[in-house]
Amino acid sequence: MSEAPTETSSAAGGSVSVFAQYDRDIDEEVDVVVVGSGPAGAVVSKELAELGKSVLLIEEGPPFVPEEFEIDGGLSMARTMREGGLRATSGTTMPTMQAIALGGGSLVNSAICNRTPDFVLERWCADYELSRTTLPDLEPHYDAVGKFLGISPTPENVQGARNLLFRDGCEALGYTSEPISRNVRGCRGSGECFTGCRTRAKQSMDISYVPAAIRAGARVLTSVRIEEIVADRRRVSAVVGRVVAPFTGKPSYQVRIRAKIVVLAAGCMATPVLLQKSGNLANRSGQVGENLQFHPGVAIMGIFPDPVNPQFGATQGYQSRQFLEDGFKLETLWAPPAITAVRLPGSGQALKDRLADIPYSAIWDAIASCNRSLGRVKAKRGTLNPTLSWHLHPKDIPILSQSLWVLAEIFFAAGARTIIPGIHGVPPEMHTLGEAEVLRTRSLKATDFVLGGNHAFCTTRMHGDPRRGVVNEMGRCHDLENLFIADTGIFPQCPSVNPMWTAMALAHREAHHIAEHL
Amino acid sequence: MILGLLGVGALGYAVIRVAFGYPESRYQSLTRADAALVASAAEAMYPAGGAIPSSGTDADLPAYLDRFLVASVARIRILVHLLLFLVEHATLFFPAPGWNGRSRFSALSADQRVAVLDGWSESSLFVRRLVFTTLRALLTLGYFAHPPVLRALKLAPFAIDSPVVEADLLYPRIGEHPDSIRLTRADLTPPGEVTPLRLDGPIRADFSGSNE
Repeated sequence: MSEAPTETSSAAGGSVSVFAQYDRDIDEEVDVVVVGSGPAGAVVSKELAELGKSVLLIEEGPPFVPEEFEIDGGLSMARTMREGGLRATSGTTMPTMQAIALGGGSLVNSAICNRTPDFVLERWCADYELSRTTLPDLEPHYDAVGKFLGISPTPENVQGARNLLFRDGCEALGYTSEPISRNVRGCRGSGECFTGCRTRAKQSMDISYVPAAIRAGARVLTSVRIEEIVADRRRVSAVVGRVVAPFTGKPSYQVRIRAKIVVLAAGCMATPVLLQKSGNLANRSGQVGENLQFHPGVAIMGIFPDPVNPQFGATQGYQSRQFLEDGFKLETLWAPPAITAVRLPGSGQALKDRLADIPYSAIWDAIASCNRSLGRVKAKRGTLNPTLSWHLHPKDIPILSQSLWVLAEIFFAAGARTIIPGIHGVPPEMHTLGEAEVLRTRSLKATDFVLGGNHAFCTTRMHGDPRRGVVNEMGRCHDLENLFIADTGIFPQCPSVNPMWTAMALAHREAHHIAEHL
Repeated sequence: MILGLLGVGALGYAVIRVAFGYPESRYQSLTRADAALVASAAEAMYPAGGAIPSSGTDADLPAYLDRFLVASVARIRILVHLLLFLVEHATLFFPAPGWNGRSRFSALSADQRVAVLDGWSESSLFVRRLVFTTLRALLTLGYFAHPPVLRALKLAPFAIDSPVVEADLLYPRIGEHPDSIRLTRADLTPPGEVTPLRLDGPIRADFSGSNE
């Protein structure tokens, strides 16, 4: 591999390599190899590099620069998401996404940062035999990540009407709400978080933690896909894979990285596949790939009498955590107009008339904690893309129905003239709160909802008992002393709020734990 | 004997139905049948007129879907081709109103196509609704990629000059060598006051223009 001294290298010896640079097989030895450059992997890499360890961060996707961002929602997904953004679960069919890019999901998420609530962490500790994962345990790690990324509440001047209407509706009903805290510096309200932030305000990993890791001496290999972990008894010795072309995934040169420590941060849907493809590694508990949870999401579009101009404003600027203990969190939402339009009912001229309402619209959504709704990640032949199965448990359906009802309440309290719930079996449009009553009174089936598979968890869950979990609470595999996992797969249950900050806080703790024992 | 003749007849009908009567395709990934289905569904889904003057035909949705498929991985291409095949020929089982309701979707009249699409969207069968939702999603993505549509809705993307950050000194454009990076530290955008975008501010150059 050529290592020309360009500005892609740092004074500390850090560098980033891209597809065009590879011209031979790669065989290297480092202290720590990190697989996956999403929020957790990027944090581990930066922290360990700053602590003087030799770190190699490997990412299958390419780095994206602003000129590469596609405003068009379809092409953006085709370029930045695995399986073109069209991945879905079987069982209860639900689309779910995983990014393939330097920075992982942080490149195309809306930067929401929430600390996992106390009551959830207490439940994790009690039910999963954990002793050091309470909120006070994690606070220093949340703080360190928050300070580095500038996590702060979304300022009012970039909220835009669709976010502020949500606040107004909540206030009218006496529900609590707050500006969403985000890893953003200098937001201009472009509403383009999901297709890549052209204003460079979002502190996605590719422009924050990864450059910091490189400054500290970490080396980054992009367009490298790890396909197997090599293990011998209770230790892993290397990861092997191939250089792959951006977008097509066409493999070329072989890659072998020997390391004292391997950290898997490939994501909740990829890490278990990697373990399964490596001879069912780290799976004496039988829990690898099991317990898959999501925050299934539902949304309502509301049409207001006056223009809302939804294209301006933070993508997700306001939220309500009032109902967390009831199983759902409410938040505002904006997506590329094409994605927004997909949820409108009908076809032909009626559909076009509804499209004309988009400038008067706002979309608010709920993410639900459906702890009874479980699934599985399984490797399939010839690909690292997983087979996903997941079933919405009938007892979790009332959580979704209740969240839709509360969203309807907030819309009408904020002055909406029409709401479009996008649910099969109820009227496509509702004009009064009375009409919306069906959302909570009608018995709905899983297939009646248009669900979104937000976030994903638990497929390599932490548990104090090695027979019931894959890793301990420091992320170390129970079965292998030098294999760590640092993505949301280690969460023992869904966290009830957006998981990025928690994944990063856990990764921060894990990095310092690794450094102490390396 | 009779069964054999029926079998041969059915096979002949299937071959004619699937393979004949389509115009030539000018696309990389879309077949002739795919292109005909997409064009006819686009016309039904997004007819001309109304608050948004552009139609699905104006938006050239076959060309968009072809670009989308070229940018997609093989598995997605296969699934989309299957989806289009299914919609084109499912009129055999879910016919449109009228004497010729079992014709290929692309051979139906505009009114018949709208009726078929409504049948899919309101079906009690989840799988049919799912097929409709997926087809409509693909068409809608293409419709909104047509700049006059976003201009008509006043939703065209803002013109934004991306500031130069440290990462821009590290990463070349995809497929290019780092030697292609021309930026240096001197080009970094200094920290300063950031102002929100304005609704009446300029829109991105490739979305500007008239809706004529």
